[in-house]
Amino acid sequence: MKIKDAEIISLMQNPRTQEKGVRALMDAYQSRLYWHIRRIIVDGDLAQDTLQETFIKAYQNFHQFKNDSQLYTWLYRIATNEALQQVNKMKKMQKTDEDPEYYMQNLVADNTAGDAEEIQLLLQNAIQSLPEKQKLVFMMRYYDDLPYEEISKIVDMSVGTLKTNYHYAKQKIEEFIKENYEK
Amino acid sequence: MKEFDIEKLERKNIYKVPDDLFQNIQDNVMNEVKTEKKVPVFKLNWMYAAAASLALIFGATYVFNSDNDPAKDMLNPQSYASNMQKPKTESERAYETLEADLTSVENNNQTIANQETKPVSYTPEKGNENVTERKPVKATSKKEDTKMNEYLDSFSNSEISELASNSTQDVYLDLYN
Repeated sequence: MKIKDAEIISLMQNPRTQEKGVRALMDAYQSRLYWHIRRIIVDGDLAQDTLQETFIKAYQNFHQFKNDSQLYTWLYRIATNEALQQVNKMKKMQKTDEDPEYYMQNLVADNTAGDAEEIQLLLQNAIQSLPEKQKLVFMMRYYDDLPYEEISKIVDMSVGTLKTNYHYAKQKIEEFIKENYEK
Repeated sequence: MKEFDIEKLERKNIYKVPDDLFQNIQDNVMNEVKTEKKVPVFKLNWMYAAAASLALIFGATYVFNSDNDPAKDMLNPQSYASNMQKPKTESERAYETLEADLTSVENNNQTIANQETKPVSYTPEKGNENVTERKPVKATSKKEDTKMNEYLDSFSNSEISELASNSTQDVYLDLYN
């Protein structure tokens, strides 16, 4: 039985049932948040650490959650922030003479399952070639099917800007795949 | 490829995922949550805080108002300067130690003069009739030593050896009996 957001919030707000609430929160959102983080970071171990940190932050700062926004919007915001922080750390660790796009494409190749289709691999490489904001908007819209209004709350951008960003991102990805697809 | 629409492409997650990924994540998060809950939060009762503050104020007032306050003297530069002594050198300290040692010997009356004037005597135990009474032995002077040497010179070698054997026995008896 799927537990509703209202129940999770009620459990989290009561100190006696907080642990039960954290478990319910993870059961409900771990998969969606994991894939959102994984698509940004790509590296599996770092994505796991980042998701853990997301849930711990959510538990520690639950008193800051306002009921006027959706629970998943609030969680996506934390997860996105944590993932972007992790990406910045990775960039600092990266060799200065290495091309960032080439680095990300190598990371994608290393983390992809053996049976993945070429077109899917190309799509991931195309996403990694996008600027940070376009990448975020595209992933939340394309994979998670989030409404622009909710994405707007997560990334602090207007709905109009988001639509433009998504349009440009989609165009670049399609061009990238046309250029690189061999079949 | 001429025409391509990504909206028509199937949404797939192509990355490798380890077994028990979400179970591990949940375990790690719950461990962290439980650890955070166990950490005790120290709440200061305002009554105790007020009592501690009052005690501190009265204590400080008492210390600063007392006349025999060494801290107060230390704060006065003149008294501090008068109390201050120059640090002693190593030779001065060695001399003082030696002087103290000599003084301690003097205090115990262990001077040569005391040793010469006091006669060494042996007092026999009461009821022991076999022991002969001995006169107190006086420490010999230099004049007596020279007389003794002249007297010994007058003896022949054989006589001296005979005397020596007797005297050894006497000394032995004197020391250990």
